[in-house]
Amino acid sequence: MTTLSTRPLAAPARTRRPRPSAGKITAWIAMSVFLLVSLFPFYWMLRTALSNGASLASDPGSLLPVDFTWGAFERVLGLATTEEAQAQGGSGASLNFWGYLLNSVFVATLITSGQVFFGALAAYAFARLRWPGRDAVFFLFLIALMVPPIFTQLPNFLLMRDLGLINTYAGIVLPFFFMTPFAIFFLRQFFLGISTEIEEAARLDGASDLRIFFKVILPMSAGPLATLAILQYIQAWNEYFWPLLVGSDQSVRVLTVALGVFRSQTPQGTPDWAGLMAAALLAALPILLLFIVFSRKIVNSIGFSGIK
Amino acid sequence: MTTHTRQTIRSRGTRRTTARRFTAAAATLAATALLSGCVQGGTSEGAWAETGNLSYWMWDSNQVPAYQACATDFEAANPGITISIEQYGYDDYWNKLMTSFVANSAPDVFVDHSSKYGDYASRGLIENLDPLIADSTVDLDQFVAGTTELWTGADGHAYGLPKDWDTVGIFYNQDKTDEAGVSADDLAAMTWNPDDGGSYERVIAHLTVDKNGVRGDEDGFDSSRVATYGLGLDDSGAGYGQVTWAMLAATTGWTYMDEATWGSEFHYDDERFQATIGWWRSLIEKGFMPPLSQTVGTALSSKLQVGAYAMVTDGSWNINTYDKLQGVNINTAPTPTGVDGKRASTFNSLADSISTSSEKKGAAWKWVQYLASVDCQSVVADAGIVFPSITSVGEVAEQRFAETGFDVSAFTTHIDNNTTVLFPLSEGAVEINAVMTNSMDKVMAFSADPASLSAVNEKVNTLLTDNAH
Amino acid sequence: MAVDTLPPRAGTPGRASASPRSRNHAMAVRRQTRIALAFIAPSMLGFVVFYFWPTLRGIYISFTDFDVFSAPVFTGLANYARLFTDETFANSARATLLYVVLNIALQTVLALGLAVLMHRLTQSAVIRSIVVLPYLIANVVVALVWFWMLDFQIGIVNQGIEWLGGTAIAFFGDENWAIPTIALVNTWRHLGYTALLIFAGLQMIPKEIYEAARTEGANEWQMFRRLTLPLLRPVLSLVLVITLIGSFQVFDTVAVTTSGGPADATRVVQYYIFDLAFQRLDFGYASAVSVVLLVVLAIITAVQLKLTRANESDLN
Repeated sequence: MTTLSTRPLAAPARTRRPRPSAGKITAWIAMSVFLLVSLFPFYWMLRTALSNGASLASDPGSLLPVDFTWGAFERVLGLATTEEAQAQGGSGASLNFWGYLLNSVFVATLITSGQVFFGALAAYAFARLRWPGRDAVFFLFLIALMVPPIFTQLPNFLLMRDLGLINTYAGIVLPFFFMTPFAIFFLRQFFLGISTEIEEAARLDGASDLRIFFKVILPMSAGPLATLAILQYIQAWNEYFWPLLVGSDQSVRVLTVALGVFRSQTPQGTPDWAGLMAAALLAALPILLLFIVFSRKIVNSIGFSGIK
Repeated sequence: MTTHTRQTIRSRGTRRTTARRFTAAAATLAATALLSGCVQGGTSEGAWAETGNLSYWMWDSNQVPAYQACATDFEAANPGITISIEQYGYDDYWNKLMTSFVANSAPDVFVDHSSKYGDYASRGLIENLDPLIADSTVDLDQFVAGTTELWTGADGHAYGLPKDWDTVGIFYNQDKTDEAGVSADDLAAMTWNPDDGGSYERVIAHLTVDKNGVRGDEDGFDSSRVATYGLGLDDSGAGYGQVTWAMLAATTGWTYMDEATWGSEFHYDDERFQATIGWWRSLIEKGFMPPLSQTVGTALSSKLQVGAYAMVTDGSWNINTYDKLQGVNINTAPTPTGVDGKRASTFNSLADSISTSSEKKGAAWKWVQYLASVDCQSVVADAGIVFPSITSVGEVAEQRFAETGFDVSAFTTHIDNNTTVLFPLSEGAVEINAVMTNSMDKVMAFSADPASLSAVNEKVNTLLTDNAH
Repeated sequence: MAVDTLPPRAGTPGRASASPRSRNHAMAVRRQTRIALAFIAPSMLGFVVFYFWPTLRGIYISFTDFDVFSAPVFTGLANYARLFTDETFANSARATLLYVVLNIALQTVLALGLAVLMHRLTQSAVIRSIVVLPYLIANVVVALVWFWMLDFQIGIVNQGIEWLGGTAIAFFGDENWAIPTIALVNTWRHLGYTALLIFAGLQMIPKEIYEAARTEGANEWQMFRRLTLPLLRPVLSLVLVITLIGSFQVFDTVAVTTSGGPADATRVVQYYIFDLAFQRLDFGYASAVSVVLLVVLAIITAVQLKLTRANESDLN
C-alpha cells in the first residue's frame, strides 16, 4: 500500500529557489550602510586612541593608527610623565580614571537601586491595590513625566545648595533616588498584565498584601525588574548636566563630567585628540561591557518599554 | 439594594474627592510655608584659618609645572599648609568659577583675570587686599608699572597681587618668510593704517600663497583656494581684541572707554574703531586671512607649524608653546607701527585672588604673597613661561626667553617705550563680553557690517550702567 | 413599594449591593489603602520634594530678580515682559526649533526605514544590538567623537569629502552648518533606539494581514503605504512624543562642542537657561525662560496625546 506522501504538493511557483530580487539586494546594502555608520565611529575612536597625538596631523586619512602607541591611554590613566604627555601632544593633565569610575559606579548603583525598588512599590500600589485618589495621583505622576528636567534642576540646585549638599554623593543622587516616572509606568504596565488568579489564590491562603507583594509578585517580576535596572543604570551612568551642576569637585566627579573637564584641559588651543579619544573610550567601556553581557535582554526590552 | 449601592457609590466618590482635596490643600500649605521661608541667598562669610589644604585654580597648562614647584617650596616652608592645584582650560575656567561661587564651593585661591574680577569684586566674592597689604611687607613699587593699576578695582581697592605681565607680538614661520624673501628687518619696519593697510598688508599679501603657488600680490591669485594664509585667525576678539585688533586700533587714537579703566561708556561706535575692524575683515575677502568658520577646533600654533599660516599675532604667554613646535623655525617680530607713528600692544597682568568664602584666608594670603614674591617668581621666570611682574626678576626671564632663539624685544619694546594699552576694566563683563562676542562674530562672518557695532555700543553702555554698583 | 426595599440576603450572588459584600469591600479598600500609602510614600516624597516643590519654587523665582548672592526681589511680570524684547531668547527659540524639526524629521524617517529593513530582512538580535549601540554611550562621548570626526582640518569626514573631490565643510564653525550638524550627531545616537521602538510596533502587526495582501498581488511599497503606516500610527505618535520632548532638551552635545557658538548659532534654549543662571547669575529670568519651555512642551504633549487617542482604534 502506498502511503500518502506527507509532503505537501509544491506549488509550481515554488519548485525553484527564488533568486534574490533587486529589491532585496538594495535592502541589504541599505542595512549594511546603517550598520557601518553605527560602528565606524567606535572603530575611529580606537584608531585615534592608539595613535601618536603629535603625528595625527601628518596622516589624517589613514584608516590605521598613525604611529601606533599606547601613549594616549597612559596619559589618560595618569601613567605618563608630563614630558612624555606633552611630547605626544597632551597637556600633562590626566583623567583620574579609577577614582571617577568608582564615583560613576557608586552613583549609578545608588540611583538604580532606589528607582527600581521604590518604583516597584509604587507601581504595585497603582496596578493592584485599590485606594482613594489612586487615579488622581497617577495622573500627577504622568504630568511629572512631561516636565523638562531643566525646569526642576534649577530649583533643585538651589535646594541642594541650601541643604549644603553640593559636591556630595547625596546631592547628586537624591533627586533621582526616590522616584522616576518611567520606572513606575514600566512596572505598572507589567503588574497590570499579571493575572489576578495568583493573587487571589494567595489571598485565600491567608497571605497579607505585604506578603503577596514580596513573596509572590516580586519573584515573578525578576525579568522586568532586571531589565528596568539595566536601562536605568545606563541612563544614570550617562547623566551629565546634573552631576556637572552639583558634583564637579574631584572627590565626587563622575566619568561624564570628568570627560568634559579633560576636554577643556587641552594644551593652549589644539585639542589632544588622541588623549580625548582614549578618555572617551574608557568612559564608554563599562557600559559597553555591560551591554555585551546583557545585549539580548536590553534589545528585547526596548520595544516593550515604548508601548503605553 | 439600589439605595445602598447609590450611597456606596456616592460615599466612594466623596471619599475620592475628599482625598484629592486633602492632598491639594496639604501640598499648597506645605509649599507656601517652605517657599516663604526657604528662598535664601548669600554666601558664607569664610574664616581666617592659617593652616589647611588650599585649593588653587589656574588655566594655563604650560604654567602648571612651574607653579607646582612653587607650591612644593611653599609647603616646605609652611608646614600645615598644603596646596592642591587644579587646572581647567581657559574657555571653561570662568564658567566653572562662577558656578562654584554660586554653589558655595569656590576655590580658596585662583588665578584671576583683569577683565573679569570687576564682577566678583562688586558682589563681594573676592577679598579686598588693601588691609592685608598695609599689614604686610609687600612693596607695591617693585612691580612693573601698570600691573598694580590693572588690579585696583573701581572702588580703589586692590583685589590681587600682580604676578606677571604680558604683551602681544607677531610669531612667524621663518621658513615661509625666507622663501618669500621677507627679512626680520622688513617685519620690524612694517607700518599700518586702516585705509590701505600700509606695508603690513603688503607683507601679508606677499606671504599668502594659493594652491597654485601664486602669491597674494601677484596676478592670477585665487583667493578661494589658498594654501598658506599670510595672517592667521583664531577668533573675532570679542570686545577686547587683545591678540587680534587692539594693537592696530589703539594707534589711531581710539580708546576702549572714556577712562583707561573703569570708564562709564564704551567707544565701539567710534569710526576709527570701525575702520580698523573693516580693514581687518577685508583681509578675509582678499584671501589673506581664513574665514572665521574655519577656525573652530584648531590652534594658531598648529596652523603655523604645518604652514597653513605664515604669521600670527599672539601673546607672550604662548612663547613656550611656539618654542615647543617641532619641525619648523619660528621667530617673533613686534607689532607694526601704526597711524600715530608708534607701535601698540594690549598690556595685561595676572594676579591671584582670594575667595571671601574661603575658610582658610590666613593661609591663602600667605600663599598669594608667596606667589607674588621674588622666590616664586624666580622659579617661574626660570621656566621661561611668562614675564614676572617684579622688575628685578625680569632679567632672568628675558635670559630664558632669549635661549628659545626668539627675539624677545618684540614683547619688551612696549614696556620700554611706554606703548602699552591697558585692558578696559569694567563691571558687567560677562554680559558685555557675551554681547560683543556675538556681534563681532557676526561682523567677521559677514552677517553684519562694522557699522552695526554702533547699535551694539548702545546695548553695551546700557549693560554698563545697569551693572554699575 | 419599590423592589429594592427588600432586605438583602447574605451571600446573594449578582447584586453588588449585598451588604456584607460591600462591607468586606470597604474593609478591603481600607486595608489596601494603608499598604498603598506605605508603598507610595517614598515615590510621593520624591515627587513632592524634587518635582512638585521645585516647580512651584521655579514659578515663584520667575517673578523675581534673583542672583543667588542676595535675597530674591519680587518684580512681577518684568521677566516675562523681557522675553518679548530679548533677541538672544528669540534666537535661542529659533535655533532650538530648527534643531527639533531637523532632528525629528531625520530621526523618524531614518528610524522607520531602519525598522522596516530589520523587520523584513532579519530578526537577528545581533543586528539589533549593533544598531542600538550608539544609544548606550553618553551624549558627551558621542559629541566628542563626532567633534573629532567632523574636524575641519584633519577630521576623517572632511578627508573623505576632499578625497571625493569636494571642499571641506566647517561643520561646527559655520553658522549655517552648526545646528544641522548637532542634529545629525544626535540623530546618530538615537536612531537605533527609535528604530527598535518602531520595530516592536511592527512586530505587533499580525503577519496574516501581509500574507493576505500578498496573495492579492500587492507589492512591498503598496503594503508599506496602505498597511504598515496606518497600523503603525499609534506607535509612531508615541515615538514622536518621546523624541520631541527629548530633543527640546538638547544640552550635552552643545556644551561639549560649540558652547553656544558660533555667534550664538547653537545657543539652544536649555543652554541659554544654563548660561543665564550660572554665568550671568540671572536666576529669575532663567526660571521665566524655563517656564516658557515647560508650557510649550506641555502644549505639544497634550496635542500629541489627543492625536494618539484618536488613532488608537486603528490597530483593532
